[in-house]
Amino acid sequence: MTLTTPMSPDGPPSVRIRDLTVVYRTAAGELPAVRDVSMDLAPGTVTGLVGESGSGKSTLALSLLNAVQPPGRISAGSVDIGGLGDVVQLRGDKLRQARGGQIGYVFQAAQNSLNPLKTVGKQLLDLGRSHDVKDLRALVAEARDLLARMGLDGARVLDSYQHELSGGMRQRVGIMLALVLNAHVVVLDEPTTALDMITQANILEIIREIHAERGLTTLVITHDIGVVAEVADEIAVMYGGRLVEQGPVRAVLGDPHHPYTRGLIQAIPRLTGDIDEAQALPGRPPTLTTIPDQGCVFRSRCALRMDVCDTVDPLFQSTGDRMVACHAVAPAATFTTTTSESEREMTPSRAWSGIGSGRREPAADGDGVVARETNEGDSA
Amino acid sequence: MITGTNIVKTFKQRGNVLDKREVPALRGVDFTIPKGGAISFIGESGCGKTTLGRIIAGLETYDDGEITIGGVDMSSLRHRAQQPHFRKVQLIHQDPYSALNPTRTIHQSLHDPLKLRARQTGRSRQWTYDRAEELLNLVGLDPGYVLPRYPHQLSGGMRQRVVIARALTVDPEVLIADEAVSMIDVSLRLGILSLLRDLRERLGVSLLYITHDVATARYIGDDGDMYVIYRGQVIERGPTETIIADPVHPYTQALLSAIPVLYGVEQPGAEQVKPVQAADAASHAEDGAHCLFSSRCPFADDRCVTEWPRLGHAHESLQDPGGRVHACFHPVQRQVAAAPIQRS
Ligand SMILES: Nc1ncnc2c1ncn2[C@@H]1O[C@H](COP(=O)(O)OP(=O)(O)OP(=O)(O)O)[C@@H](O)[C@H]1O
Ligand SMILES: Nc1ncnc2c1ncn2[C@@H]1O[C@H](COP(=O)(O)OP(=O)(O)OP(=O)(O)O)[C@@H](O)[C@H]1O
Ligand code: SF4
Ligand code: SF4
Ligand SMILES: [Mg+2]
Ligand SMILES: [Mg+2]
Repeated sequence: MTLTTPMSPDGPPSVRIRDLTVVYRTAAGELPAVRDVSMDLAPGTVTGLVGESGSGKSTLALSLLNAVQPPGRISAGSVDIGGLGDVVQLRGDKLRQARGGQIGYVFQAAQNSLNPLKTVGKQLLDLGRSHDVKDLRALVAEARDLLARMGLDGARVLDSYQHELSGGMRQRVGIMLALVLNAHVVVLDEPTTALDMITQANILEIIREIHAERGLTTLVITHDIGVVAEVADEIAVMYGGRLVEQGPVRAVLGDPHHPYTRGLIQAIPRLTGDIDEAQALPGRPPTLTTIPDQGCVFRSRCALRMDVCDTVDPLFQSTGDRMVACHAVAPAATFTTTTSESEREMTPSRAWSGIGSGRREPAADGDGVVARETNEGDSA
Repeated sequence: MITGTNIVKTFKQRGNVLDKREVPALRGVDFTIPKGGAISFIGESGCGKTTLGRIIAGLETYDDGEITIGGVDMSSLRHRAQQPHFRKVQLIHQDPYSALNPTRTIHQSLHDPLKLRARQTGRSRQWTYDRAEELLNLVGLDPGYVLPRYPHQLSGGMRQRVVIARALTVDPEVLIADEAVSMIDVSLRLGILSLLRDLRERLGVSLLYITHDVATARYIGDDGDMYVIYRGQVIERGPTETIIADPVHPYTQALLSAIPVLYGVEQPGAEQVKPVQAADAASHAEDGAHCLFSSRCPFADDRCVTEWPRLGHAHESLQDPGGRVHACFHPVQRQVAAAPIQRS
C-alpha cells in the first residue's frame, strides 16, 4: 500500500524546547511538574521519553501542544517547532489549527479516549470539520488507507463504536487520528501500555514504519525502557520533573552516565543471563510535594551524593555523545574531540562508571528499600 | 501441594439475547504447585490466567476437572468444608490500591484477619499486635510509620507490601500473585519481586506467579515450571529456563520474540517468530478439530487444521529429559530470546 501523503517539503520539522517550566496549583502553592527542561527533537528522529509515574512526561508532552490544562500552566520557557514558531505563544485559532493539524497527539490511555457514543468515522468527520478540511471524502480515504496500513479493515473500523474494538485496535485508531491531518510532529503518550507483548511489538513496528514513510519527528512517551529501546533513536530520561540524561539509545543503555538511568536499567529483570544482576534501586520516586526545590532531585536515592548535590542543581550539559545533569559526571569540556578510546578511559566520566558499579550493595535489598522509603516518606 | 486435573471453565456471556456466546476460558488444564515451589502462568491478555488463578484461590467455580489441596479433592467437599483449604491460598491482585479499604488505616486492615486468626488458634489479643508488627517487618516496612496511615498516604510499592503482609496474616501455604507488580513504579518493582522470592525461601510458601512479563516470572522462580497458556490451553510447559532458552511451540516462540530487546545491553535471539496475523485481526475460527494457534502460526500445515494437538506430545526430534511437554505437531527448537551482549 502506498500513501498519497508526501513528505513535508522542508523535511521533518525540528522541535526545540528551552527552559520549560510547567506548574500545577496545589494546596501548597504552585509546584513545578516540569522544571527548566531543555530538549531538542532532531528532525526525522524518534525520541523516547522515559520516566516513572509522576515524573512529568505527560505534562511535558502536553506543553508541545500548549495544551496544559488548569490548574496547570506553562510558567516559563519556549517550544519552537519548525514551521510553527514558539507554540507557547500561540493563541486561539492558530493554536487550534496546530493541534491535530501540524502536531498529532495520541493521549495517554487512548484506548479509552474515544467518544463511546459516536462511531470512529463520525469522530473523524468532526476532527476534519474542526480543522476546516474541505475535502472530507479524501480525509476518509486517507483514514482508511492508514488503518489498512496498520493491518485493520478501514471501512469496518470507521463504522465501529469504541466498545466494538479491542485495546490494540483502539490504539491504532488513536494513531490514525493523530496522523490523518498530515501532522509532521507526532506525540504518542504510552501508545502500548496495557497491551500484550505481541500486539505491542506489532504497534511499535507500525510506529517505526509510518515514522519513516511520512518523514515525521516523533516523541514516544513510556515508562518502559524496553519500548524505547525497540522504537527510538534517542532516549530522554526524566526524573522529578527534570531531564537527567538524553542521548542515542544504544549508547545510553549500554553505558548510562546518570546514576538514575544506571539504577533504572539495572533494576530490569532479564530473560537470560545472571538473574541476580538485577538490583533494586533504593528509595522511591518523589511526588510533586516532595521534590526538593533546590539541589539534585535524585539525591535521596543516589549512592554518589556529595555535599554540592544538596544545594546546587546540576546543569543539564553535554558530556560528549549525550546530555547529562549530574555533578559526578564531567562535562564535555574535559574531552577533546580527537580523544582516542584509550584516552577516553581516563576522563572522569568514564572512570566514574567504574566506581558506580562497585557501590550499590547497601540498601539494595527489600528491607533497605523501605528503610529509605520511611525516612523520605511524605509527611502528608 | 495443589494439583489441578483437566480444569474446564466456560463463561456464558449474557446480555444480547441473539448473540449468546460461550467463552471457553479454560480447556482442560493440568497443573501442579509443589510445596515451597514456584510456577508461573504466562500468555497474552484473555488467555485465562486470572480465571485459573481465581479458581485455585476458591474465588471462581469450574465446570469440570479436579482440584486437590494437600491431597484433598475439593469437589468432594461442600462449599463450607472447602473454605479452610482455600484459605491456605491467598491471592494478591494487580491493583494494590483497590485491594485495601481506603477508609481504614493499615492497622485496621491488618487487625481484622489477625483477630480472627487469634480466635481460631486461641491466642491473646497482644499476639495480634505483635504479629502485625512482625509481618510488616517481614515485608520490609516500618510498622511505626505504616500502621497509623491510610492507603493513599503510602506509595504504590508500600501499598503492595501491605497487601502482601495482609495475605500473610492467615499463614497461607500458597501465594498467587496476579500481575502483582504491573502497576508499581519501575524502580520499585524489583523490590517487590525479591520480597516474594524471599518469602518463598524464608517461610516456605509456594508461589503462583501470573503475568505476561516473562522476565519477571523468571526472576521469581527460575527453578520452577513455566506454563504458557494460549486461549485456555496450556500449549507448552517445562522448567522456566528451558522454556525461555529452547522453546519448541511456535506460540511460545512468538511471545518471546515480541519481548522488547534492550539494544545496547542485549542482542535479539538468533531466530524470531512472528504470528502471521495481528492478534485482533485473527479470525478466531470456531473451535473444533484444529490447533488453536493455527490461524496465526507461520508453520501450520494440513494436519494442524484438521486435528487438535493436545499437551503431552512427546518431543519428536529431541530427547527431552527436562520434563518439557508441548502441544504442537511440528515442534522445533528455536532460540528466540534476547541475550546479554558479551563485553570483553
Ligand atoms: N491536574 C493536575 N493537578 C495537580 N497536579 C497534577 C495534575 N496533573 C498532573 N499533576 C502532577 O504533576 C506531576 C506530573 O504528572 P504527569 O501526568 O505529567 O506525569 P507522568 O510522568 O505522565 O506520569 P504517568 O506515568 O503516571 O502518566 C505529578 O506529580 C502529578 O501528580
Ligand atoms: N466473568 C466473566 N464473564 C464472562 N467472560 C469472562 C469473565 N471473566 C473472564 N472472562 C473471559 O474469559 C477469558 C479469560 O479471561 P482472564 O481474565 O482469565 O484472562 P487473563 O489471561 O487473566 O487476561 P489478562 O492478561 O488481560 O488479565 C477472556 O476471554 C475473558 O473475556
Ligand atoms: S548530582 Fe549528585 S545526587 Fe544528583 S545524581 Fe549526580 S551525584 Fe547523585
Ligand atoms: S500444531 Fe501446527 S499450527 Fe499448531 S503450533 Fe504447531 S505447527 Fe503451528
Ligand atoms: Mg503520563
Ligand atoms: Mg488477568
